[in-house]
Amino acid sequence: MNAKRANSLTLLVLLILSTGVISIFVPGNFLSIRNLHNMGRQLPEYGLLSLANMLAMITGGIDLSIVSITSLSGVVAGTILSQYAAIGLPVGVTIALAILAAIAVALLCGAVNGVLVAYAGVPAIIATLGTNGLFLGIAIIITKGAGIIGFPPQFAFFGNGLILGIPAQFVIFLVAVGLVALLLNTTAQGMSMYMYGSNPIVARFSGINNHLVLLKTYLAGSVLCAVSAIIMISGVDSVRPGYGSQYLLLTVLIVVMGGTDPNGGFGTVLGVVLSIFVVQILQSGLNFLGFSAFFMKTSWGLLLLLLSVSHFLRTDIIKNHIAGKYLKKKVQPDRAV
Amino acid sequence: MILLFSLVVTIMNPAFFTLQNFFDLLHNSSGDAILAIGFFVALLSGGIDISFPAVAIIGQYIAVNALISMHVSNLVLALAISCGVGIAFGAVNAFFVSVFRINTLIVTLGTSSLFHGAMLELVGTKAVNAGQLPKCFTDFGYAKVLHLQTASGTPYGLPLFAIVLAVVVLATWLILRHTLLGRIIFAMGGNFEAVRRSGVNIRRVHFFIYCYVGFLAGIMGIMSVSLIRYSNPTYIVDTELLPVIAAVVLGGASIMGGSGTLTGTLLGATLIAMLQQNLVLMGLSSYWQEFFVGLMIVIGVTVTHVQRKFRTGNRLTFVRD
Amino acid sequence: MSDIFLEVKNIYKAYEGVQALRDVTLRVGRGEIHCIAGENGSGKSTLIKVIGGVVTPDRGEITIDGQSYSHLHAIDSISHGIQIIYQDLSLFPNLTVAENIAFNQLVEKKVKAISWEKMRSIAGQALSEIGETVDLDEPVGNLSVAKRQIVAIARALTQGARLIIMDEPTSAITRDEVEHLFSVILGLKARGISIVFVSHKLSEVFEVAEWVTVLRDGKLVGVYPAAELDDEELTFLMTGKRFDIAPYSFDRARIGEMPLLEVRNLSKKGQFRDISFKVWKGEILGIAGLIGSGRSEIALSLFGLNVPDSGEILLNGNPVVVRSPEEAEHLGIAYLPEDRLSQGLFVNQSIGDNIVITVIRKMLTRIGIIRQSTRKETESHWIDELEIKAPSARVAALGLSGGNQQRVVLAKWLATKPKLFILDGPTVGIDIGSKSNIHEIIRDLAVNGMAIIMISDEIPEILQNCNRVLVIRNGCIEQEIEDISATSEDSLFEIMAAKSTEGEELC
Repeated sequence: MNAKRANSLTLLVLLILSTGVISIFVPGNFLSIRNLHNMGRQLPEYGLLSLANMLAMITGGIDLSIVSITSLSGVVAGTILSQYAAIGLPVGVTIALAILAAIAVALLCGAVNGVLVAYAGVPAIIATLGTNGLFLGIAIIITKGAGIIGFPPQFAFFGNGLILGIPAQFVIFLVAVGLVALLLNTTAQGMSMYMYGSNPIVARFSGINNHLVLLKTYLAGSVLCAVSAIIMISGVDSVRPGYGSQYLLLTVLIVVMGGTDPNGGFGTVLGVVLSIFVVQILQSGLNFLGFSAFFMKTSWGLLLLLLSVSHFLRTDIIKNHIAGKYLKKKVQPDRAV
Repeated sequence: MILLFSLVVTIMNPAFFTLQNFFDLLHNSSGDAILAIGFFVALLSGGIDISFPAVAIIGQYIAVNALISMHVSNLVLALAISCGVGIAFGAVNAFFVSVFRINTLIVTLGTSSLFHGAMLELVGTKAVNAGQLPKCFTDFGYAKVLHLQTASGTPYGLPLFAIVLAVVVLATWLILRHTLLGRIIFAMGGNFEAVRRSGVNIRRVHFFIYCYVGFLAGIMGIMSVSLIRYSNPTYIVDTELLPVIAAVVLGGASIMGGSGTLTGTLLGATLIAMLQQNLVLMGLSSYWQEFFVGLMIVIGVTVTHVQRKFRTGNRLTFVRD
Repeated sequence: MSDIFLEVKNIYKAYEGVQALRDVTLRVGRGEIHCIAGENGSGKSTLIKVIGGVVTPDRGEITIDGQSYSHLHAIDSISHGIQIIYQDLSLFPNLTVAENIAFNQLVEKKVKAISWEKMRSIAGQALSEIGETVDLDEPVGNLSVAKRQIVAIARALTQGARLIIMDEPTSAITRDEVEHLFSVILGLKARGISIVFVSHKLSEVFEVAEWVTVLRDGKLVGVYPAAELDDEELTFLMTGKRFDIAPYSFDRARIGEMPLLEVRNLSKKGQFRDISFKVWKGEILGIAGLIGSGRSEIALSLFGLNVPDSGEILLNGNPVVVRSPEEAEHLGIAYLPEDRLSQGLFVNQSIGDNIVITVIRKMLTRIGIIRQSTRKETESHWIDELEIKAPSARVAALGLSGGNQQRVVLAKWLATKPKLFILDGPTVGIDIGSKSNIHEIIRDLAVNGMAIIMISDEIPEILQNCNRVLVIRNGCIEQEIEDISATSEDSLFEIMAAKSTEGEELC
């Protein structure tokens, strides 16, 4: 699709430009290994969440509970991890257990979302608004508001280790990107998600099992949340419910900026990934240059608005341009006029 | 349905039902109720405006700091500044929504980040505490109409906030119910295309709607600082968005626009407020608040939607919901 | 004072490279009922928009009530009393009848504050002008299409309408309601109000129109008194072709075999009762019924979207239960929906995606990945087979003509290799040229062994393509007609439209 390519192209240009401009202004080598490592450590946390929200938004919904799911699965994993001495099993097993538990809890949350949206027919924005409070509340109840600390040192690998010289979490992120791309582009589930997002009624008439498609969408998203949780708590070696709450709006911004139509039916993984990179570059770069987090916030807002405006102008121009091109040639009169 | 809910909640807390507690409730939650009304009006027209928390805090912070630097203590001036900021903000929102036809969720997402970030950057992040706050705010916060005393001699009364709320409710009701503008707002939520065809100046209506939301948010900003006697520029933004949306939705307004009642919104706001108040009264820590608000929403909307499904179950209506 | 109220002369209009109107002239007299007839793409919609001032022609003159304009604005058009009622009626479903009717007038008068009294009186008066009563406080969304039309007409009257344009007014209302609408139209005529309507339903054109302006390919073919035309003549004028098709025949000897589908005593409260019939392989069974007869409801119950309360469905002698379209697909049942734009096609998705979505699950490798080669093959196979005219399989379905869009929907279901194909209104809103082409496709399918049920309210379509017809009326099978060739259009219509006796709910 022309619009898809144009959008990804814009993002790529933006990415290169911002990297370039920032490199010029930043003292020293902006793209040094150390900096790349730092970026590679920060990015996956919200990157994975963005992918999760992308899935929901392709089906025309939105997931406001992703941060809470992350918190809850993080809390569950953290609880297990902090008891590793008491549990007495080999550390590796405990860690594996914790990870599995995180995923299981997340799946449960995703299932709740899925059931509400698919079977009860509640609009996604409202359902996840409610479950957001629910999940976060449970997380807070479990921890009584405090944090959890005391993880086995081996666990820090996910948030601090390296695989072939690349930060572990970044590798995990790339794997996730690959899997999501695979899901969306090459599986029946992925195609059904796009179609459902395009028009749920036509989807029903086409023999698609809408309920299942939606359920799986939210389940998939929740798994991404669990992974993000593992990375997060490993990174800071502790859990605090509510950590990452500022990410929610950021993920929506990233997904929309990445070219996904919030009404559903369209969106590419490439777009979202480029969008994530742009955000990270800007964040790190502006940080280096001494700009505050607030400036960043301002930039996100500005970027989102500018991109939306450019999208509007572009589609307008395309319409008029095509009209001009074909003025000589006669299109088949069969069209309804 | 909503009434049932309210009943259930009040039954849960018989101790709660005293006039003093009621006035207390009004005092604490009138601000949120005003925000809810703003969100509701925008929602009716089919738009989802999530910038109101940012507007409220920006208006507040700017007004407070302006008054301090001018060494003035004047509530009217504070309101003027705050609401002025709110209206300006709303105008920007309306601009992007009507000229570039961008989805309102996205526009307000963008503008709230943009302006909040800008304010924090340019004006600063220093909180203003009670000691530095001009007196007009604290006065406003304590002001009461109708003075009463409890059996033990503690004075209490109908807070001025409640009067402000009442005025807002009345004004909004008049607009929605008795002006063409109000009916157009409903119409937009029902069939936007038809409104366009009928020759209405949609741009003007959009400007009114979003400036109104900004205006109301400006009022709330002042009420908020007057209530807690503390102005921290990072407040409101993270905490009020979801409860306000919850209040409006629980009050029966459709997330697609075009339907909902002011009464419902008020009841929803009351419900959320009572919930928050109750939990404190019941001795439960604030941990449970999130949980219960969330649970409320989940149960409330599930019941509503499942009800709706059964009602249209027998008809072959494939109307896109 | 001239008798002509509206005259649009020598209108030219081009859009995005298409010459929508070329030297078209239309004259409508006072109190005249005038029909604009033409296929899709003939320029009817553009002409209406030109009259309403919504679209500005490139060349041409418009004269309303003696006043000429070379540049007509919507405001001018409205001030002269020209009102357009679009096909979707442009009503607000969440507002009450009174509000909807009074809306335009209030907007015009730039009223600030409104009184509900005033709105009700405006609405009440407009309704009484056409002798109708509708509950003023009912939200329009709860009304039937026919009643909504009345509301739309009443609204048109509040601004002093002198000429009302209706775009396809009869496409979504029942026979009784159509008659009622026509009596309203005649009432308006009696008051000197002209009516211009666009309709593709030939039989209705003749019932009420006095003059017919025929357009073809953006050009004016001619203006004829309705009395001088008949179906065949009008079709010829609209398409430039004559169609002569022999009715479809079916080898009756095959009846000895087991029917592919047998339906016994299917009933659903409020929709249909005691429906029983059989369909054999190779047959095209017609289900003829007007809107509201229950025809689509019956079809949907075979497709899993409208589970019946009682009765049996047997495929090849085996009883089956169909609870969802997914299950229907597995059983080999396919359904072409009534409304291709909102039920049949993902309009913003590509043609290719639309075609394969039904069978995508059959193209997976063992680990669940889609086999791209199989997918591309399937896409191109059907595009060729059904001659779908499009630049590529990746183009969005939205850009296609009605006939091509319908072919995409056909392809999508043919890809599932169904044994039973139910077609609901297969050629609605499709120009006559494409219509006959699609009929050919359907006949070929039957000849090759598919069992087909064709649901339609277009009598010529039924008579030309089916070997047997069930007439559905009020939820029951009114009659089964085996001898098609002996049936005339009029007699079939009579059976379909027979008036129900007083108080009869469901047969």
